Amino acid sequence: MTRLIRRRLQARAATFVASVSLAAFCFLFSSLIPAPCAWAESEIESAASPESLPTIAPDELAEIERALGQDSAKPNHPPQPPPASANPVVAALSNFNPDLAVILDVAAGWFSGETGKPITSGGHDPKKTGFTFQQLELSIGKAVDPYFRFDANLVFSQFGVEVEEAYATSLALPFSLQIRAGQLLTRFGRLNASHPHSWEFADQNFALTRLFGAEGNRGLGLELSWLMPLPWFTEIIVSATDATGAATARSFLGAGEFDIDSPLDFQLTAALKQFFPITDALSLNLGLSAVTGPNSTGNGNRTDIYGLDFYLRYRPVTGAALRWIALQAEVFWRRRQIPDDLLQDVNAYAQLVWRFADRWSVAARYEWGSAATGIDGEHTSLDWLDPEWTRDRQRVSAAATFHPSEFSRLRLQGARDHAPSITPDPIWSVILAAEFFVGAHAAHAF
Amino acid sequence: MKRTVLSMFFSLIATLSSVSAFADSLEVVATVPALASLAQEIGGDQIKVTSLSLPTQDPHFIDARPSLALALNRADLLLFVGLELEQGWLPTLMTSARNGKIQPGASGYLDCSSVVERLGVSNTALDRRMGDVHPAGNPHYLFDPRNALRVAQAIAERLAAIDPENAASYQTRLESFQTDLSQRIAAWEARMVPFKGAPIIAYHSSWLYLATWLGLTEVAFIEPKPGIAPTPAHVAQVLAIGRAKGVRAILQETFYADSASRLIAEKIPARLLRLSAGPDVRGGESYAAQIEKIVSALEAALLPQAHQAEVTP
Repeated sequence: MTRLIRRRLQARAATFVASVSLAAFCFLFSSLIPAPCAWAESEIESAASPESLPTIAPDELAEIERALGQDSAKPNHPPQPPPASANPVVAALSNFNPDLAVILDVAAGWFSGETGKPITSGGHDPKKTGFTFQQLELSIGKAVDPYFRFDANLVFSQFGVEVEEAYATSLALPFSLQIRAGQLLTRFGRLNASHPHSWEFADQNFALTRLFGAEGNRGLGLELSWLMPLPWFTEIIVSATDATGAATARSFLGAGEFDIDSPLDFQLTAALKQFFPITDALSLNLGLSAVTGPNSTGNGNRTDIYGLDFYLRYRPVTGAALRWIALQAEVFWRRRQIPDDLLQDVNAYAQLVWRFADRWSVAARYEWGSAATGIDGEHTSLDWLDPEWTRDRQRVSAAATFHPSEFSRLRLQGARDHAPSITPDPIWSVILAAEFFVGAHAAHAF
Repeated sequence: MKRTVLSMFFSLIATLSSVSAFADSLEVVATVPALASLAQEIGGDQIKVTSLSLPTQDPHFIDARPSLALALNRADLLLFVGLELEQGWLPTLMTSARNGKIQPGASGYLDCSSVVERLGVSNTALDRRMGDVHPAGNPHYLFDPRNALRVAQAIAERLAAIDPENAASYQTRLESFQTDLSQRIAAWEARMVPFKGAPIIAYHSSWLYLATWLGLTEVAFIEPKPGIAPTPAHVAQVLAIGRAKGVRAILQETFYADSASRLIAEKIPARLLRLSAGPDVRGGESYAAQIEKIVSALEAALLPQAHQAEVTP
């Protein structure tokens, strides 16, 4: 009886949180975009009142509103030219400090089902019905000297700090070689090396979470890359990193601690990236990746993962600047040796993102992860990492993002996650995520 | 065995790299077409110039396509506008270019803003509530051809430093370019004398240097704040100001949406000048030809008989 009541209460709480997030989203939007006519009319009066400001006739204002949408903003003061005075000292002062940027990601989410939780989640994903502090990221970067550049990303969660990345990049090695050394996200595939603020969805891809862990694949190590002297962009990357980390290398040694006896005890990654500027507006990026390392089942057993990534982007070079559409897809094939068997599975995702207005973009994503099969081709429960994952999992997500400026965004995302072997019913979710960025202007990778 | 593979790998790198290193002309990469055009004037056949962006693209928001990193990888000289105009994309490209020749402090790194007289430098604390501001100064200085003279001089000096053998020919070309452009500047200034103090409206704060040079007065911006799209209340305000001040020309670069500007142009009425951000270098247009286009368009718009609302293509 009490259980039933509790369940009802939970269900009510869930509905409440969902409706609150929706209401909050609508409210935020309404304050930033077209508002009811009544407001606009009162504005005409208030705009007319200051004597010093020139005014226009109400019917013309109505026409402007028809053309551009109504506006809830208070009438503006007369536009000011930018403050002008020559003061080169201001610019010179800050030159030696590292460029700092602070990025806050917070979310409110609702998940269907008894637990009100997603099936599995990345380290920055909304984890339950209610509010989630996704991350507070401090990114620091600067040239060290003519030979190196330093970059770090420190991630603060509500109760701790982690060094997500801290590495040096060489700037001037001969033969177009480049070295990165330190704690780094491996450049396996396309999405793995990126940070949450450049993701098109409020959560991490489940493929990467399943293969590498909640934080994606990273570790302490060394990377060498070579920009080949070919007429088109071709880069070869090899790296050796720690094969340990429950949240970063779970298919390898995971949380365990192991001695290094040979170079093969590291996680070794290789990738080939190619870029084709098909036209000024159309770009194609293709990548092949492979990673190998020991796994925690002992006896010299190894895990190999192969990846293929594809990114096609169309951004017109005439007309309004911020319009683009991009199709991105990755496929991963994982092989794990275990005592007396070989586990294999495939994970893939494809996503389409369309920036259709200065301030708006929409995105859709499909993800699929097969159950692990044994050497006989049958599904097996020998997978020590995800013993419940005995049938395919599929997730479909859609997101709409509002960008008030380059430095902030609001995202509403809905998803249906179906993993029949883990939960009998699909889990539906609604996430409202907000991001705020302050500090040095971000340089965006392609 | 391992050693053979390794030595083969390195000899392959060495061979391939030396092939690309023996290109005969100097590789110059400019971030925007106007700088590419100036470099071409000075460098002539001795250099090969690449522009990382097109005149129809907003130089604040260029995609950091890897092909651009490739161009920078092979560059002997990088010319950029500076004042944070390229902040959103150039740093990433410069790191992935792995080219020591174009890193800050090297002879192949030329921040062209270092030789111009900056306008719009802020001496108050800035924050992003003011929009996407450039604290070190307004970066659109190439719309004032007097700055082009200074930048051309700097480019010539840098080319001579990198490639002393051809220093004399760079100097010769610089002198003829400067003579020609100075004459044109005098002619443009003479043509625009009747319009001294004429009020104009700008979409973005891109025309500060142009207005300062020609003595025009920017009375309003269609963007409420730099980088923020126009809102109806603000557009109404701009329209009212435009009428009150008798504005005849609205200036905007082609990559901005023009619905608000068109509306204001029709209502004032004034002429909307949608101008290219730089010369069409691929189509063979020179820097001077582009400034000529701008001056002619302004002249036509500001003439008293040009009352009709019109939109230049």
